Amino acid sequence: MEDVTRINGHLTYATAAIKADTDTAVFLGNPHIDNLMTIVIALGAEIWESKQRMLIIERLLETHGRVTEEMIEQYVASDTEVDLWEAKKAAMMQRVYSVLARDTSSAQPFNSPFPY
Amino acid sequence: MIKRRTLLGAGAVLASGAGLSSQADVRAPSLAGLASGAPGSEDAVGDVYPPGTLAPRGRFGRSERLPTLELESRQNFLRSFRTWVNMSLSAKAAQRANEVLGERGLAADRELPQDQALELLMNEPLPQLATRAWLSSQQLMWHGLREEFEGNVGKYLAEMEAVDDYGPYLELNPDLPVPDYIRHEIHIMPGGYVGNPVAGHLYHYGTNGFYMGRNDNDEIHSGAAQRLPVPADGQVRRILDLGTGVGQFAMALKERFPDAEVWGIDAGGPMVRYAHLRATERKLDVNFAQRLAEDTKFPDNHFDLITSYIMFHEIEPEATRRIMHEAYRITRPGGVYYPVDFNTLDNPPRTAWQQYRGYMDHRWNCEPWTPHWRFCNPQQMIRDAGFSLDTDAPAVIPRYGILNATKPA
Repeated sequence: MEDVTRINGHLTYATAAIKADTDTAVFLGNPHIDNLMTIVIALGAEIWESKQRMLIIERLLETHGRVTEEMIEQYVASDTEVDLWEAKKAAMMQRVYSVLARDTSSAQPFNSPFPY
Repeated sequence: MIKRRTLLGAGAVLASGAGLSSQADVRAPSLAGLASGAPGSEDAVGDVYPPGTLAPRGRFGRSERLPTLELESRQNFLRSFRTWVNMSLSAKAAQRANEVLGERGLAADRELPQDQALELLMNEPLPQLATRAWLSSQQLMWHGLREEFEGNVGKYLAEMEAVDDYGPYLELNPDLPVPDYIRHEIHIMPGGYVGNPVAGHLYHYGTNGFYMGRNDNDEIHSGAAQRLPVPADGQVRRILDLGTGVGQFAMALKERFPDAEVWGIDAGGPMVRYAHLRATERKLDVNFAQRLAEDTKFPDNHFDLITSYIMFHEIEPEATRRIMHEAYRITRPGGVYYPVDFNTLDNPPRTAWQQYRGYMDHRWNCEPWTPHWRFCNPQQMIRDAGFSLDTDAPAVIPRYGILNATKPA
Protein backbone atom coordinates (compact mmCIF):
# COMPACT_ATOMS: atom_id res chain seq x y z
CA MET A 1 0.00 0.00 0.00
CA GLU A 2 1.97 3.01 -1.20
CA ASP A 3 -0.64 5.72 -0.74
CA VAL A 4 -2.26 4.89 2.55
CA THR A 5 -4.63 7.86 2.53
CA ARG A 6 -6.98 6.48 -0.12
CA ILE A 7 -7.85 3.05 -1.48
CA ASN A 8 -9.95 2.80 -4.63
CA GLY A 9 -10.84 6.45 -4.10
CA HIS A 10 -12.11 5.93 -0.55
CA LEU A 11 -10.58 7.79 2.37
CA THR A 12 -8.77 5.58 4.86
CA TYR A 13 -8.01 8.29 7.49
CA ALA A 14 -4.44 7.00 7.62
CA THR A 15 -1.32 9.08 7.06
CA ALA A 16 2.24 8.18 6.13
CA ALA A 17 4.24 6.46 8.87
CA ILE A 18 7.90 6.85 9.79
CA LYS A 19 9.24 3.39 9.06
CA ALA A 20 11.11 1.38 11.67
CA ASP A 21 14.48 -0.05 10.65
CA THR A 22 14.23 -3.29 12.66
CA ASP A 23 14.51 -5.40 9.50
CA THR A 24 18.15 -4.28 9.27
CA ALA A 25 19.13 -5.33 12.79
CA VAL A 26 21.73 -8.10 13.11
CA PHE A 27 22.06 -9.89 16.45
CA LEU A 28 23.74 -13.15 15.57
CA GLY A 29 26.83 -11.85 13.80
CA ASN A 30 25.62 -12.48 10.27
CA PRO A 31 22.28 -11.34 8.78
CA HIS A 32 21.80 -14.75 7.17
CA ILE A 33 22.00 -16.46 10.54
CA ASP A 34 19.42 -13.98 11.83
CA ASN A 35 17.25 -14.97 8.89
CA LEU A 36 17.69 -18.64 9.75
CA MET A 37 16.40 -17.98 13.25
CA THR A 38 13.29 -16.40 11.75
CA ILE A 39 12.88 -19.38 9.43
CA VAL A 40 13.17 -21.82 12.34
CA ILE A 41 10.36 -20.05 14.19
CA ALA A 42 8.22 -19.80 11.05
CA LEU A 43 8.64 -23.53 10.43
CA GLY A 44 7.51 -24.22 13.98
CA ALA A 45 4.34 -22.27 13.26
CA GLU A 46 3.80 -24.20 10.02
CA ILE A 47 4.24 -27.53 11.81
CA TRP A 48 1.90 -26.57 14.62
CA GLU A 49 -0.74 -25.49 12.10
CA SER A 50 -0.54 -28.91 10.39
CA LYS A 51 -0.55 -30.71 13.72
CA GLN A 52 -3.60 -28.83 14.96
CA ARG A 53 -5.43 -29.47 11.69
CA MET A 54 -4.66 -33.15 12.01
CA LEU A 55 -5.96 -33.24 15.57
CA ILE A 56 -9.19 -31.62 14.41
CA ILE A 57 -9.57 -34.04 11.49
CA GLU A 58 -9.02 -37.02 13.77
CA ARG A 59 -11.63 -35.73 16.19
CA LEU A 60 -14.15 -35.06 13.43
CA LEU A 61 -13.67 -38.52 11.95
CA GLU A 62 -14.13 -40.09 15.37
CA THR A 63 -17.33 -38.23 16.07
CA HIS A 64 -18.88 -37.74 12.61
CA GLY A 65 -17.21 -40.34 10.43
CA ARG A 66 -16.60 -37.71 7.77
CA VAL A 67 -14.83 -34.41 7.36
CA THR A 68 -15.14 -31.38 5.10
CA GLU A 69 -13.07 -28.22 4.84
CA GLU A 70 -15.97 -26.27 6.29
CA MET A 71 -16.15 -28.60 9.31
CA ILE A 72 -12.43 -28.17 9.94
CA GLU A 73 -12.55 -24.40 9.68
CA GLN A 74 -15.63 -24.12 11.89
CA TYR A 75 -14.41 -26.53 14.53
CA VAL A 76 -14.60 -25.18 18.07
CA ALA A 77 -12.43 -27.04 20.55
CA SER A 78 -13.75 -27.89 23.99
CA ASP A 79 -11.92 -26.58 27.04
CA THR A 80 -10.48 -30.05 27.57
CA GLU A 81 -9.16 -30.12 24.02
CA VAL A 82 -7.71 -26.64 24.35
CA ASP A 83 -5.81 -27.76 27.45
CA LEU A 84 -4.63 -30.89 25.66
CA TRP A 85 -3.47 -28.89 22.64
CA GLU A 86 -1.64 -26.42 24.85
CA ALA A 87 0.16 -29.30 26.55
CA LYS A 88 1.11 -30.81 23.18
CA LYS A 89 2.35 -27.44 21.98
CA ALA A 90 4.39 -26.87 25.13
CA ALA A 91 5.93 -30.32 24.77
CA MET A 92 6.77 -29.65 21.13
CA MET A 93 8.29 -26.31 22.07
CA GLN A 94 10.41 -28.00 24.69
CA ARG A 95 11.56 -30.77 22.33
CA VAL A 96 12.40 -28.47 19.47
CA TYR A 97 13.60 -25.24 21.01
CA SER A 98 15.02 -25.98 24.45
CA VAL A 99 18.47 -26.43 22.92
CA LEU A 100 18.48 -22.67 22.35
CA ALA A 101 18.54 -22.14 26.10
CA ARG A 102 21.42 -24.50 26.79
CA ASP A 103 24.47 -23.25 28.62
CA THR A 104 27.03 -22.21 26.01
CA SER A 105 29.56 -20.73 28.40
CA SER A 106 31.91 -23.64 27.76
CA ALA A 107 31.47 -23.58 23.99
CA GLN A 108 34.73 -23.96 22.08
CA PRO A 109 35.86 -23.59 18.47
CA PHE A 110 35.31 -26.62 16.21
CA ASN A 111 39.06 -27.06 15.71
CA SER A 112 39.85 -27.29 19.41
CA PRO A 113 42.21 -30.19 20.21
CA PHE A 114 41.13 -33.22 22.21
CA PRO A 115 41.29 -32.37 25.89
CA TYR A 116 42.97 -35.68 26.70
CA MET B 1 -11.51 -18.14 -1.55
CA ILE B 2 -13.15 -15.33 0.38
CA LYS B 3 -12.31 -15.07 4.03
CA ARG B 4 -14.97 -13.07 5.83
CA ARG B 5 -15.84 -11.84 9.27
CA THR B 6 -19.28 -11.92 10.81
CA LEU B 7 -19.30 -8.34 11.89
CA LEU B 8 -22.92 -7.36 12.38
CA GLY B 9 -23.66 -9.79 9.60
CA ALA B 10 -22.52 -6.90 7.42
CA GLY B 11 -22.18 -8.94 4.26
CA ALA B 12 -25.61 -10.46 4.57
CA VAL B 13 -27.25 -7.24 5.59
CA LEU B 14 -25.77 -5.23 2.77
CA ALA B 15 -26.70 -7.83 0.21
CA SER B 16 -30.30 -7.97 1.35
CA GLY B 17 -30.61 -4.22 1.83
CA ALA B 18 -32.12 -4.74 5.26
CA GLY B 19 -31.09 -4.53 8.85
CA LEU B 20 -28.82 -1.51 9.08
CA SER B 21 -30.04 2.02 9.65
CA SER B 22 -31.21 4.06 6.70
CA GLN B 23 -27.92 5.97 6.79
CA ALA B 24 -25.94 2.80 6.44
CA ASP B 25 -28.18 1.65 3.66
CA VAL B 26 -27.53 4.87 1.79
CA ARG B 27 -23.81 4.21 2.06
CA ALA B 28 -24.13 0.65 0.89
CA PRO B 29 -23.99 1.30 -2.88
CA SER B 30 -20.55 2.87 -2.57
CA LEU B 31 -19.17 -0.29 -1.05
CA ALA B 32 -18.97 -2.17 -4.32
CA GLY B 33 -16.50 0.46 -5.48
CA LEU B 34 -14.39 0.05 -2.39
CA ALA B 35 -13.82 -3.65 -2.79
CA SER B 36 -11.60 -4.63 -5.66
CA GLY B 37 -14.04 -6.97 -7.42
CA ALA B 38 -17.07 -6.27 -9.55
CA PRO B 39 -20.53 -7.02 -8.10
CA GLY B 40 -21.16 -10.72 -8.26
CA SER B 41 -17.49 -11.58 -8.50
CA GLU B 42 -15.63 -13.43 -5.81
CA ASP B 43 -14.35 -10.16 -4.36
CA ALA B 44 -17.61 -8.22 -4.35
CA VAL B 45 -18.43 -6.76 -0.96
CA GLY B 46 -22.13 -7.47 -1.06
CA ASP B 47 -21.89 -11.18 -1.78
CA VAL B 48 -22.91 -13.53 1.00
CA TYR B 49 -20.53 -16.44 1.11
CA PRO B 50 -20.91 -17.53 -2.54
CA PRO B 51 -20.69 -21.23 -3.32
CA GLY B 52 -17.24 -22.57 -2.63
CA THR B 53 -16.40 -19.99 -0.01
CA LEU B 54 -16.21 -20.32 3.73
CA ALA B 55 -18.62 -18.91 6.27
CA PRO B 56 -17.23 -16.77 9.09
CA ARG B 57 -15.68 -18.76 11.92
CA GLY B 58 -17.61 -17.29 14.81
CA ARG B 59 -16.24 -15.57 17.85
CA PHE B 60 -13.61 -16.14 20.46
CA GLY B 61 -14.99 -14.31 23.46
CA ARG B 62 -15.30 -10.67 22.47
CA SER B 63 -13.30 -11.01 19.28
CA GLU B 64 -14.03 -12.33 15.86
CA ARG B 65 -12.05 -15.50 15.26
CA LEU B 66 -9.36 -14.98 12.66
CA PRO B 67 -10.73 -15.95 9.26
CA THR B 68 -8.78 -19.15 8.65
CA LEU B 69 -7.57 -22.00 10.82
CA GLU B 70 -4.20 -21.59 9.14
CA LEU B 71 -3.74 -18.02 10.37
CA GLU B 72 -5.28 -18.73 13.76
CA SER B 73 -2.98 -21.70 14.39
CA ARG B 74 0.16 -19.87 13.35
CA GLN B 75 -0.70 -16.87 15.49
CA ASN B 76 -1.43 -19.20 18.38
CA PHE B 77 1.96 -20.82 17.98
CA LEU B 78 3.75 -17.47 17.77
CA ARG B 79 2.04 -16.33 20.95
CA SER B 80 3.26 -19.45 22.75
CA PHE B 81 6.73 -19.04 21.32
CA ARG B 82 6.82 -15.44 22.51
CA THR B 83 5.78 -16.58 25.97
CA TRP B 84 8.52 -19.22 25.97
CA VAL B 85 11.11 -16.65 24.88
CA ASN B 86 10.01 -14.10 27.47
CA MET B 87 9.93 -16.66 30.26
CA SER B 88 12.32 -19.56 29.72
CA LEU B 89 14.85 -18.18 27.25
CA SER B 90 15.00 -14.76 28.90
CA ALA B 91 15.50 -16.38 32.30
CA LYS B 92 18.55 -18.15 30.91
CA ALA B 93 19.78 -14.92 29.34
CA ALA B 94 19.32 -13.12 32.68
CA GLN B 95 21.23 -15.89 34.41
CA ARG B 96 24.06 -15.58 31.90
CA ALA B 97 24.08 -11.80 32.36
CA ASN B 98 24.56 -12.25 36.09
CA GLU B 99 27.41 -14.68 35.44
CA VAL B 100 29.08 -12.08 33.24
CA LEU B 101 28.81 -9.54 36.04
CA GLY B 102 30.26 -12.06 38.48
CA GLU B 103 33.19 -12.79 36.16
CA ARG B 104 33.98 -9.07 36.22
CA GLY B 105 33.54 -8.70 39.95
CA LEU B 106 30.37 -6.59 39.59
CA ALA B 107 27.37 -6.90 41.90
CA ALA B 108 24.23 -8.22 40.20
CA ASP B 109 21.86 -6.12 42.33
CA ARG B 110 23.27 -2.70 41.48
CA GLU B 111 22.08 -0.76 38.44
CA LEU B 112 24.95 -0.09 36.08
CA PRO B 113 25.21 2.89 33.75
CA GLN B 114 23.21 1.99 30.63
CA ASP B 115 26.24 2.03 28.33
CA GLN B 116 28.19 -0.30 30.61
CA ALA B 117 25.33 -2.81 30.81
CA LEU B 118 25.03 -2.83 27.02
CA GLU B 119 28.75 -3.19 26.50
CA LEU B 120 28.94 -6.14 28.90
CA LEU B 121 26.24 -8.10 27.11
CA MET B 122 26.64 -6.91 23.52
CA ASN B 123 28.71 -9.92 22.49
CA GLU B 124 27.11 -12.53 24.71
CA PRO B 125 25.38 -15.20 22.58
CA LEU B 126 22.42 -15.92 24.84
CA PRO B 127 21.14 -12.35 25.29
CA GLN B 128 21.59 -11.79 21.55
CA LEU B 129 19.72 -14.97 20.73
CA ALA B 130 16.87 -14.16 23.12
CA THR B 131 16.52 -10.73 21.50
CA ARG B 132 16.59 -12.17 18.00
CA ALA B 133 14.01 -14.84 18.88
CA TRP B 134 11.67 -12.29 20.47
CA LEU B 135 11.90 -9.85 17.55
CA SER B 136 11.65 -12.56 14.89
CA SER B 137 8.51 -14.01 16.45
CA GLN B 138 7.00 -10.53 16.63
CA GLN B 139 7.90 -9.80 13.00
CA LEU B 140 6.30 -13.09 11.97
CA MET B 141 3.20 -12.27 13.99
CA TRP B 142 2.80 -8.90 12.25
CA HIS B 143 3.57 -10.46 8.87
CA GLY B 144 0.77 -13.01 9.25
CA LEU B 145 -1.79 -10.44 10.35
CA ARG B 146 -0.68 -8.03 7.67
CA GLU B 147 -1.09 -10.68 4.99
CA GLU B 148 -4.71 -11.13 6.04
CA PHE B 149 -5.80 -7.58 6.80
CA GLU B 150 -3.84 -5.73 4.14
CA GLY B 151 -4.39 -8.53 1.65
CA ASN B 152 -8.15 -8.10 2.04
CA VAL B 153 -8.06 -4.41 2.83
CA GLY B 154 -11.04 -3.58 0.61
CA LYS B 155 -13.30 -5.93 2.51
CA TYR B 156 -12.17 -4.80 5.94
CA LEU B 157 -12.53 -1.15 5.01
CA ALA B 158 -15.98 -1.87 3.60
CA GLU B 159 -17.03 -3.39 6.90
CA MET B 160 -15.92 -0.28 8.75
CA GLU B 161 -17.44 2.04 6.17
CA ALA B 162 -20.75 0.22 6.53
CA VAL B 163 -21.00 1.32 10.15
CA ASP B 164 -19.24 4.70 10.04
CA ASP B 165 -22.63 6.43 10.12
CA TYR B 166 -24.31 3.82 12.28
CA GLY B 167 -24.36 3.46 16.06
CA PRO B 168 -22.61 5.93 18.37
CA TYR B 169 -20.85 9.13 17.29
CA LEU B 170 -17.73 8.79 15.14
CA GLU B 171 -15.61 11.71 13.98
CA LEU B 172 -12.90 11.14 11.39
CA ASN B 173 -10.61 13.91 10.19
CA PRO B 174 -8.42 13.19 7.17
CA ASP B 175 -6.91 16.66 7.50
CA LEU B 176 -5.73 16.23 11.08
CA PRO B 177 -2.10 17.42 11.25
CA VAL B 178 -0.57 14.33 12.82
CA PRO B 179 2.69 15.19 14.63
CA ASP B 180 5.78 13.22 13.69
CA TYR B 181 6.18 11.72 17.15
CA ILE B 182 2.98 9.68 16.62
CA ARG B 183 3.96 8.46 13.16
CA HIS B 184 6.56 5.92 14.30
CA GLU B 185 5.90 2.22 13.86
CA ILE B 186 5.53 1.59 17.60
CA HIS B 187 6.06 -2.10 18.47
CA ILE B 188 7.21 -2.42 14.83
CA MET B 189 3.53 -2.61 13.91
CA PRO B 190 3.40 -2.09 10.13
CA GLY B 191 2.35 1.52 9.57
CA GLY B 192 2.13 2.22 13.29
CA TYR B 193 -0.99 3.66 14.91
CA VAL B 194 -1.70 6.21 12.18
CA GLY B 195 -0.19 4.87 8.97
CA ASN B 196 -2.15 1.77 8.10
CA PRO B 197 -5.79 1.76 6.94
CA VAL B 198 -6.34 -1.41 8.99
CA ALA B 199 -4.24 -0.29 11.98
CA GLY B 200 -7.08 -1.06 14.38
CA HIS B 201 -7.34 -4.66 13.22
CA LEU B 202 -3.58 -5.15 13.39
CA TYR B 203 -3.30 -3.52 16.80
CA HIS B 204 -6.15 -5.46 18.35
CA TYR B 205 -5.04 -8.92 17.27
CA GLY B 206 -1.34 -8.12 17.63
CA THR B 207 -1.47 -6.68 21.14
CA ASN B 208 -3.68 -9.56 22.29
CA GLY B 209 -0.57 -11.62 21.54
CA PHE B 210 1.56 -9.26 23.65
CA TYR B 211 -0.67 -9.93 26.65
CA MET B 212 -0.04 -13.65 26.14
CA GLY B 213 -3.69 -14.58 26.61
CA ARG B 214 -4.40 -12.40 29.65
CA ASN B 215 -6.40 -9.74 27.81
CA ASP B 216 -8.29 -11.53 25.04
CA ASN B 217 -11.53 -10.18 26.47
CA ASP B 218 -10.13 -6.85 27.67
CA GLU B 219 -9.75 -8.24 31.18
CA ILE B 220 -6.89 -5.88 32.06
CA HIS B 221 -8.75 -2.85 30.71
CA SER B 222 -11.89 -3.86 32.59
CA GLY B 223 -9.98 -4.38 35.83
CA ALA B 224 -8.30 -0.98 35.53
CA ALA B 225 -11.62 0.69 34.72
CA GLN B 226 -13.21 -0.84 37.80
CA ARG B 227 -10.43 0.46 40.04
CA LEU B 228 -10.17 3.96 38.57
CA PRO B 229 -10.87 6.55 41.30
CA VAL B 230 -13.84 8.90 40.94
CA PRO B 231 -14.23 12.53 42.05
CA ALA B 232 -14.86 13.07 45.75
CA ASP B 233 -18.44 14.21 45.07
CA GLY B 234 -19.10 10.94 43.24
CA GLN B 235 -20.38 12.74 40.13
CA VAL B 236 -19.30 11.06 36.88
CA ARG B 237 -21.32 12.39 33.95
CA ARG B 238 -18.60 12.77 31.32
CA ILE B 239 -15.49 10.64 30.81
CA LEU B 240 -12.63 11.01 28.33
CA ASP B 241 -10.02 8.41 27.35
CA LEU B 242 -7.05 10.08 25.66
CA GLY B 243 -5.10 8.07 23.07
CA THR B 244 -7.89 5.52 23.14
CA GLY B 245 -6.45 3.26 20.42
CA VAL B 246 -9.09 0.66 19.61
CA GLY B 247 -11.24 1.90 22.50
CA GLN B 248 -10.79 -0.98 24.93
CA PHE B 249 -10.43 1.26 28.00
CA ALA B 250 -13.19 3.65 26.91
CA MET B 251 -15.58 0.75 26.45
CA ALA B 252 -14.60 -0.73 29.81
CA LEU B 253 -15.37 2.65 31.40
CA LYS B 254 -18.75 2.75 29.69
CA GLU B 255 -19.48 -0.66 31.18
CA ARG B 256 -18.62 0.64 34.65
CA PHE B 257 -20.46 3.97 34.18
CA PRO B 258 -23.34 3.11 31.82
CA ASP B 259 -25.10 6.45 32.34
CA ALA B 260 -22.02 8.57 31.63
CA GLU B 261 -21.17 10.17 28.29
CA VAL B 262 -17.92 8.45 27.34
CA TRP B 263 -15.45 9.69 24.73
CA GLY B 264 -12.32 8.15 23.29
CA ILE B 265 -10.00 10.20 21.09
CA ASP B 266 -6.90 9.16 19.17
CA ALA B 267 -4.75 10.60 16.39
CA GLY B 268 -5.10 7.34 14.48
CA GLY B 269 -8.17 7.49 12.23
CA PRO B 270 -8.12 3.74 11.47
CA MET B 271 -7.85 3.06 15.20
CA VAL B 272 -10.94 5.03 16.23
CA ARG B 273 -12.78 3.71 13.18
CA TYR B 274 -12.17 0.16 14.36
CA ALA B 275 -13.03 1.21 17.93
CA HIS B 276 -16.35 2.54 16.64
CA LEU B 277 -16.98 -0.68 14.78
CA ARG B 278 -16.40 -2.71 17.95
CA ALA B 279 -18.52 -0.37 20.08
CA THR B 280 -21.34 -0.68 17.57
CA GLU B 281 -20.96 -4.42 17.55
CA ARG B 282 -21.01 -4.53 21.35
CA LYS B 283 -23.90 -2.05 21.54
CA LEU B 284 -21.90 0.33 23.72
CA ASP B 285 -22.71 3.99 23.30
CA VAL B 286 -19.15 5.35 23.27
CA ASN B 287 -18.19 8.35 21.14
CA PHE B 288 -14.92 8.18 19.22
CA ALA B 289 -13.08 11.02 17.48
CA GLN B 290 -9.86 11.37 15.54
CA ARG B 291 -8.28 14.19 17.51
CA LEU B 292 -5.02 15.01 19.27
CA ALA B 293 -4.66 14.61 23.03
CA GLU B 294 -2.85 17.95 23.17
CA ASP B 295 -5.69 19.71 21.32
CA THR B 296 -8.92 17.92 22.24
CA LYS B 297 -11.38 20.64 21.08
CA PHE B 298 -13.52 20.09 24.19
CA PRO B 299 -14.75 23.06 26.28
CA ASP B 300 -13.07 24.13 29.52
CA ASN B 301 -14.02 22.23 32.72
CA HIS B 302 -15.95 19.65 30.70
CA PHE B 303 -15.06 16.21 32.06
CA ASP B 304 -15.51 14.61 35.47
CA LEU B 305 -12.94 11.93 34.74
CA ILE B 306 -10.06 11.91 32.25
CA THR B 307 -7.71 9.03 31.76
CA SER B 308 -5.44 7.26 29.27
CA TYR B 309 -4.21 3.71 29.08
CA ILE B 310 -0.41 3.29 28.71
CA MET B 311 -0.31 6.20 26.26
CA PHE B 312 2.33 8.46 27.76
CA HIS B 313 5.34 6.22 27.31
CA GLU B 314 4.69 6.54 23.55
CA ILE B 315 4.67 10.36 23.66
CA GLU B 316 7.55 12.79 23.17
CA PRO B 317 8.57 15.07 26.07
CA GLU B 318 7.08 18.40 24.96
CA ALA B 319 3.81 16.80 23.89
CA THR B 320 3.62 15.08 27.29
CA ARG B 321 3.70 18.47 28.99
CA ARG B 322 1.11 19.95 26.61
CA ILE B 323 -1.25 16.99 27.05
CA MET B 324 -1.15 17.37 30.83
CA HIS B 325 -2.00 21.07 30.51
CA GLU B 326 -4.82 20.28 28.07
CA ALA B 327 -6.15 17.67 30.50
CA TYR B 328 -6.16 20.31 33.23
CA ARG B 329 -8.08 22.75 31.02
CA ILE B 330 -10.89 20.30 30.25
CA THR B 331 -11.17 18.63 33.69
CA ARG B 332 -13.91 20.24 35.78
CA PRO B 333 -13.00 21.54 39.25
CA GLY B 334 -13.02 18.56 41.56
CA GLY B 335 -12.67 16.21 38.61
CA VAL B 336 -10.12 13.41 38.46
CA TYR B 337 -7.28 12.96 35.98
CA TYR B 338 -5.60 9.55 36.20
CA PRO B 339 -3.34 8.54 33.29
CA VAL B 340 -2.52 4.84 33.62
CA ASP B 341 1.07 4.07 32.66
CA PHE B 342 4.27 2.35 33.68
CA ASN B 343 5.68 3.19 37.06
CA THR B 344 8.38 5.85 37.22
CA LEU B 345 8.78 6.25 40.99
CA ASP B 346 10.80 4.08 43.35
CA ASN B 347 11.50 1.43 40.76
CA PRO B 348 13.95 -1.20 42.03
CA PRO B 349 17.40 -1.08 40.42
CA ARG B 350 17.37 -2.80 37.04
CA THR B 351 19.64 -5.74 36.45
CA ALA B 352 22.10 -5.65 33.58
CA TRP B 353 19.80 -7.97 31.64
CA GLN B 354 16.78 -5.70 32.24
CA GLN B 355 18.78 -2.70 31.08
CA TYR B 356 19.94 -4.56 27.99
CA ARG B 357 16.39 -5.74 27.27
CA GLY B 358 15.00 -2.26 27.92
CA TYR B 359 17.40 -0.78 25.42
CA MET B 360 16.54 -3.42 22.80
CA ASP B 361 12.85 -2.66 23.33
CA HIS B 362 13.50 1.05 22.90
CA ARG B 363 15.74 0.73 19.85
CA TRP B 364 14.48 -2.29 17.93
CA ASN B 365 10.88 -2.64 19.08
CA CYS B 366 10.49 1.01 18.08
CA GLU B 367 9.69 2.54 21.46
CA PRO B 368 11.31 5.93 20.84
CA TRP B 369 9.93 7.71 23.90
CA THR B 370 9.92 5.04 26.61
CA PRO B 371 13.27 6.06 28.19
CA HIS B 372 11.98 9.61 28.39
CA TRP B 373 8.89 8.50 30.29
CA ARG B 374 11.00 6.58 32.78
CA PHE B 375 12.90 9.69 33.79
CA CYS B 376 10.57 12.63 33.04
CA ASN B 377 9.03 12.90 36.53
CA PRO B 378 5.37 12.91 35.44
CA GLN B 379 4.31 13.56 39.04
CA GLN B 380 5.93 16.98 38.92
CA MET B 381 4.62 17.65 35.42
CA ILE B 382 1.06 16.96 36.56
CA ARG B 383 1.50 19.27 39.54
CA ASP B 384 2.98 21.93 37.24
CA ALA B 385 -0.16 21.67 35.10
CA GLY B 386 -2.21 22.67 38.18
CA PHE B 387 -3.48 19.36 39.57
CA SER B 388 -3.06 18.14 43.12
CA LEU B 389 -1.68 14.61 43.29
CA ASP B 390 -2.37 11.71 45.64
CA THR B 391 0.44 9.18 45.21
CA ASP B 392 -0.72 7.05 48.16
CA ALA B 393 -3.82 5.73 46.41
CA PRO B 394 -3.70 2.13 45.17
CA ALA B 395 -2.50 1.61 41.60
CA VAL B 396 -5.32 0.75 39.19
CA ILE B 397 -3.04 -1.89 37.69
CA PRO B 398 -0.71 -3.61 40.15
CA ARG B 399 2.90 -2.40 39.85
CA TYR B 400 1.93 0.41 37.45
CA GLY B 401 2.38 4.05 38.35
CA ILE B 402 0.00 6.02 40.55
CA LEU B 403 -0.98 9.32 38.94
CA ASN B 404 -4.18 10.08 40.82
CA ALA B 405 -4.68 13.79 40.14
CA THR B 406 -7.53 16.11 41.06
CA LYS B 407 -8.25 19.57 39.73
CA PRO B 408 -8.68 21.83 42.75
CA ALA B 409 -12.31 22.88 43.26
